[in-house]
Amino acid sequence: MITVRSTRILLYVVLVLFVVAFVMPFWADITTSLKTNVDVITTVPVVPPLSPTLEPWAIAFKTMGQPLLNSLTFTIFATIFSCLIGSINGYALSKIRFRGSNMLFLFFSIGIFIPYQTVLIPLVLTMSRLGLFNTVWALILAHTVYGIPMCTLLFRNFYKDIPESLTMAAKTDGAGTLKIYQSILLPLSALPFVVSGVFQFTSIWNDYLFGLILAQGIGAQPASVALANLKGTTTASWNVLMAGAIWYALPLVIVYLVLGKYLMKGYMAGAVKG
Amino acid sequence: MVGLLILLPSIALVGYFVYASIGYNVLVSFTDWNQLRPSYNIAGFSHYAELLRDSVFRVSLLNNLFLILLFVPSTIGLGLVLAILLDNRVRGEGVFRTIYLLPFSLSFAITASLWAWMYDPTNGVINTLLRSAGLGSLASGWVTDSSLTLYCVILALVWQFSGYIMLLFLAGIRSIPESQVMAAEVDGASRFRLYWRIIIPQLKSSTLATFVILMVFGLKAFDFINILTGGGPGYSTFVLPLDMYRETFGLDHYAYGAAIATILFMVVMVIVVPYLYMSSRRSEG
Repeated sequence: MITVRSTRILLYVVLVLFVVAFVMPFWADITTSLKTNVDVITTVPVVPPLSPTLEPWAIAFKTMGQPLLNSLTFTIFATIFSCLIGSINGYALSKIRFRGSNMLFLFFSIGIFIPYQTVLIPLVLTMSRLGLFNTVWALILAHTVYGIPMCTLLFRNFYKDIPESLTMAAKTDGAGTLKIYQSILLPLSALPFVVSGVFQFTSIWNDYLFGLILAQGIGAQPASVALANLKGTTTASWNVLMAGAIWYALPLVIVYLVLGKYLMKGYMAGAVKG
Repeated sequence: MVGLLILLPSIALVGYFVYASIGYNVLVSFTDWNQLRPSYNIAGFSHYAELLRDSVFRVSLLNNLFLILLFVPSTIGLGLVLAILLDNRVRGEGVFRTIYLLPFSLSFAITASLWAWMYDPTNGVINTLLRSAGLGSLASGWVTDSSLTLYCVILALVWQFSGYIMLLFLAGIRSIPESQVMAAEVDGASRFRLYWRIIIPQLKSSTLATFVILMVFGLKAFDFINILTGGGPGYSTFVLPLDMYRETFGLDHYAYGAAIATILFMVVMVIVVPYLYMSSRRSEG
């Protein structure tokens, strides 16, 4: 009995040690963001400040405010668009029989894995030709399009598990293809919409590469690029950089705390199918 | 027919922005477009021949391979350990899981900023902690030391990804029928034997998925490295995506950058296509 108890204690000790290692960078981020410039240089980062200040947060928000708004704009629009398109696609791929639907499955799957470096040059050309370069619209379009494959597969996998008998019954009642989608599948789609919505929100909100390539101008610049620039330009003001990182993380942490378990589901689906 | 009709807009969009764009990129790599203004005279395979002689490309490729070789097994190992530890009816499992998964959910722009502060040689977290623990002799330049910086990148990436791998393994472990675990326990198998003989062998498909995901990520890793080190010091953390970015958008060598991107694409596809083929056959069968 003693050995059982001591291995249990050991288990928790190890788990907590991992927690310390995982949390350390976040903890140092928070303490540093609350310190004055002098404290940043003279104190140990993980030790909380004796006289906390919110000034770094204010300074960081001055540069991050507009980019955060930009990020919020294109993230919300692209999330909605890609999920809606993914839903109707998933329906077509799972519930309607037609030649080549397996080919299309592969067609979309590969879209999930491509290294975006391979499409950057044509993407820049296309966006300039459309007159969207350096606008949030470029990011909305890019994130919607490159989100379609993942969303399509997420919805397809979900709809596949809905019994054929349901859609068949509606069909014999004379319901059309779109009517079946609207009246049967859509009302059952709350879960996949939340899962793929949270998944898309996370990956679009976190994107850096597309923002770097397509939107350097301040009117469209995402928060990721703004934060990276903050790191590049103010190497001395670590407190401001750490505060900026918190500003940028905040919306996502809120989503994560409220809908975290759906995000996990999205991650799993992402792993199983791509 | 209606099915195809519904999918047509998406097929067109993905066809253009993914497949046609890849094709276009390959075409650009065969032209002489190596200045800002587009130019489409045929240069044949000359850029690919040049890549063979390009020492920055060679360093990037080797760094990429080294990163994968160290990052993938370390992340899978740590993820598996975390999953096995948590699979012991741990009280507050959800809290532990959330904490371990938190780094994975955040943008590389954030995690790179956090680790820049961890590794900062003068006032950063690691060095000041070492100094105040009396271990000042272990303090080092970290990301500013070209012999260490790639290890610094890898350590931070393991930190960011292992929670995700833990989640996948945990799901795999939980899907193993309870009866098998019970049977082994009745037979008096030790905890260690139970995992080694019964559970780990059944995690094959989870492991394959994690391998592919991490390898592909290791090949495409750009955001984190570009923000944390910018590829430096020198070329010590240059990887293919960074080399492609620098050649294309830094030096306006569009054709040359396109050639690097094409190589990167082919390497990724060599890993992904067999995996997709296998998993699509499995899901049909």
